[in-house]
Amino acid sequence: MAAVRDGEFAALQSLLKAPSKDAVRQLCQECFSSPPAGLGPLAQRACPGLGAGPEEAEQATKGPSQPVCNAFQCSRALSPFPFLQLVSALHNLTRHVVYRGLTRAEDILSLFPENFHQNLKNLLTKIILENISAWRNEAQASQISLPRLLDMDWRVDIKTSSDSISRMAVPTCLLQLKIQEDVALCGNSPVVSALTVELSKETLDTMLEGLGRIRDQLSAVANK
Amino acid sequence: MLRLRRAPAPGPGGAGGAAAAAMGLLNFTRDPVPEAVSGDMHNLNQLSAQQFSALTEILFRFLIEPKEQVERFLTQLSDFATMNKISLGPLKNIVKSILLVPNGALKRNLSSEQVRADFIALGLSEEKASYFAEQWKVNSPTLTRLAVGQTLMINQLVDMEWKFGVTAGSSELEKVGSIFLQLKLVIKKGSQMENVYIELTLPQFYSFLHEMERVKTSLESFS
Repeated sequence: MAAVRDGEFAALQSLLKAPSKDAVRQLCQECFSSPPAGLGPLAQRACPGLGAGPEEAEQATKGPSQPVCNAFQCSRALSPFPFLQLVSALHNLTRHVVYRGLTRAEDILSLFPENFHQNLKNLLTKIILENISAWRNEAQASQISLPRLLDMDWRVDIKTSSDSISRMAVPTCLLQLKIQEDVALCGNSPVVSALTVELSKETLDTMLEGLGRIRDQLSAVANK
Repeated sequence: MLRLRRAPAPGPGGAGGAAAAAMGLLNFTRDPVPEAVSGDMHNLNQLSAQQFSALTEILFRFLIEPKEQVERFLTQLSDFATMNKISLGPLKNIVKSILLVPNGALKRNLSSEQVRADFIALGLSEEKASYFAEQWKVNSPTLTRLAVGQTLMINQLVDMEWKFGVTAGSSELEKVGSIFLQLKLVIKKGSQMENVYIELTLPQFYSFLHEMERVKTSLESFS
């Protein structure tokens, strides 16, 4: 994540127009969570009507950014372009902090330029620190990966008869794995598939052997 | 199990179409036996003990590995035919008739006693029937295991490969340091193999291992 540019800090100053700290807080969270492509729509949602008055803005807004829109009261005086800049700047700032793994207030404060509004700087730093670990988890959860295991269920059956042999008592295991495709590809609607697999006792023993070896290697790595 | 009723003319000379109807109930099958079988048994009785034993050996070797060894089986049969001056065509028919019994016996988990009794009912001499039944007893554990192995399995797990490592960084997080585990499962779907790739976190792995150990305990208690 590239560092935040000076021009973007200037855009951040428009947060001074926010009516409440909670509005700023919510905007920060939305900007962090939104992917770069979603910033435009986010700016639109938070400032719809492109010059419409507050009442029309209220009617046009749907969804979670409604309080933000009402709060920012997009009036004819404020065109959407600076709002988009603000949203991008917040996105870049929050993402940068998470990327660098900054955890101390001093580190975050030092990101801001000298002449930045003092109280706003402190407020933003406070908000970022509150959210940093949740954001870090969110980043890790949405990183690219192979399809992920969500859940597993199993059942043991006893086969009593078949076309090749009419009487037997062979236990077998059915394993159902719930797998979620790569989150980055699916966006907001992850595809979950269920795969049912049958294992004989021999296969299970071999598998456990393999899993045991993994466990031993993991402990060896952990103990180093 | 159906109890066997002895056929009226079990001796070597008692072959003929009528004998088939008079054979009574057999252990290895409920269906009527083809007429040709009694004739084939009669021909078998003409073989010497040595020849019969050699033929039996060829048959059991085929039964134990049927899929891969059809070529080998046919070659051995034709060698046997040449060596003993028997024509291959009739020999093949005889072999087809003989194989009816072990195939049925396998399906119905018959004992060697029942196999012997069935051969006698079909017209084979007591000596040869007893010999075959002995061979059946010796080979049946392997044959049973094979039959069980051929039983239908749904999406059978055939192989598992794995690797684990550490995620050092990502485009969102400069330093990560988290462990990931990747599994590749090879699954037999119908006649094709399919590879499934999954990623697990460390806690998921331990939970997976724990569940699999529970499955093993469960399977073992039923074996």
